[in-house]
Amino acid sequence: MIICSNVAKSYTHGSECKHVFDGVNLTIGRGERVALLGRNGAGKSTLIKLIGGVELPSAGRIIRKMSVSWPLGFAGGFQGSLTGYDNARFIARIYQREYADVRSFVEEFTELGKQLNMPVKTYSSGMRARLAFALSLSIEFECYLIDEIILVGDQNFQRKCQVEMFDKRQDRAMIVASHSPDFMKQFCNKAIIIDKGKAIAYDDVDLALNIYSGL
Amino acid sequence: MVSKGFQKLRASWAIQVRVIHALMIRELITRFGRENIGFLWIMAEPLLFAGLVGALWHFTHGATEHGVGVIAFVATGYIPITLFRHGVSRSIAVFTANQSLLYHRQIKIVDFILARFIIEFLGGMMAYLFMAITLMIFDEFPMPADFGLLIGGWFLYSTFCLSLCLIIAPLSEISDAMEKFVPVTTYIMIPFSGLFYMLSWLTPRAREFLLFSPFVNCMEMMRKGIWGDKVVVYYNVWNPVICSAVAILIGLILCRRIRGMLTVE
Repeated sequence: MIICSNVAKSYTHGSECKHVFDGVNLTIGRGERVALLGRNGAGKSTLIKLIGGVELPSAGRIIRKMSVSWPLGFAGGFQGSLTGYDNARFIARIYQREYADVRSFVEEFTELGKQLNMPVKTYSSGMRARLAFALSLSIEFECYLIDEIILVGDQNFQRKCQVEMFDKRQDRAMIVASHSPDFMKQFCNKAIIIDKGKAIAYDDVDLALNIYSGL
Repeated sequence: MVSKGFQKLRASWAIQVRVIHALMIRELITRFGRENIGFLWIMAEPLLFAGLVGALWHFTHGATEHGVGVIAFVATGYIPITLFRHGVSRSIAVFTANQSLLYHRQIKIVDFILARFIIEFLGGMMAYLFMAITLMIFDEFPMPADFGLLIGGWFLYSTFCLSLCLIIAPLSEISDAMEKFVPVTTYIMIPFSGLFYMLSWLTPRAREFLLFSPFVNCMEMMRKGIWGDKVVVYYNVWNPVICSAVAILIGLILCRRIRGMLTVE
């Protein structure tokens, strides 16, 4: 279970102050697949970062009662100057997993071959997505945070994600920020609309998508 | 209840140790790569500094000064100051530089400072050892008279450096001006670091004043540890201990406050 109680987040830069959230209350249970809906700049990525503990809320609390992955997205989680293997080794170390297991899973899932010996900064976003998913799947979290990145992959990658994430790990929770209605209809069983600093949860994804398209 | 809390603390401690270990390896790979001598490069700068300045002094001041070997004297002064200067310069903007790692919740921002500092600390110690052994072969370095005092002084000196890093790292995130002032400040610090003198060579008034500096106190301890009865030293162990404790407290509070404000890309 993940509980957000009265979460507020604001950013200050000089004299400017931007309030992204103002009193968000949410509960995400085990096995729930939540679609995050919101226009550009509404705060989808910020909410994912707060839930992932990357940034801390300005007020309120986030309680995590299941293991939560780091946010899988275009930025973060990797050291660009290190190779794919070095990053895998680093992640295996800090999450206390056997490097050999992580390595073999990454090799098989990413199909990047010799590219894994190259610095991650030379990777395309699709390749990064493969690496990020492979690493987080090899660690096995109870809840995965996915920020947009799932849709950059090619057919082959999406098929693999489908098998590994949605078929084999059906019991896992997931919070996905995405702009693809098809994807959300297919995979999500709950939706959260973020608008004007508030987040409202809906149990009916179609209804949420309809409301969202009217925003 | 107590034992449960203790177990939790022990588990958290184990996680931090693992994280710092991983961060250190990562830092060594990114900084020194795997080519040629690799991470042994961390000894290179303190050694070159100490060696070259020592040689310079050897020719300008003669082989000994106040009865101690000049090369050894300069070298024992330069290696600690290099630790201080590197430690401080490495902690500037350390949170921003490592921000992509904050995606992993078990990594705390203090770990970044610790990982970098421990590398500098080990590098300094290796350089110290290497230099002492090399100079001993040429009979330019005495067998340390009191190992305990030497190591104690080195640890206190390092602890004080670390406590300053804990303050400078969060401050450098708050203000960019900090970055501009640090090189000047570390330069101005040199006369107050006990690098080029021993307190017994100075006037009583200057001595009294300089004894306020934790660096000088530790430096005197280290030199007493090396030369023993050949030198007269003045120090108070409590000065660096108290200064470090206060600075660590301030630093940790600052780090905690800054963590909430960090924006991560």
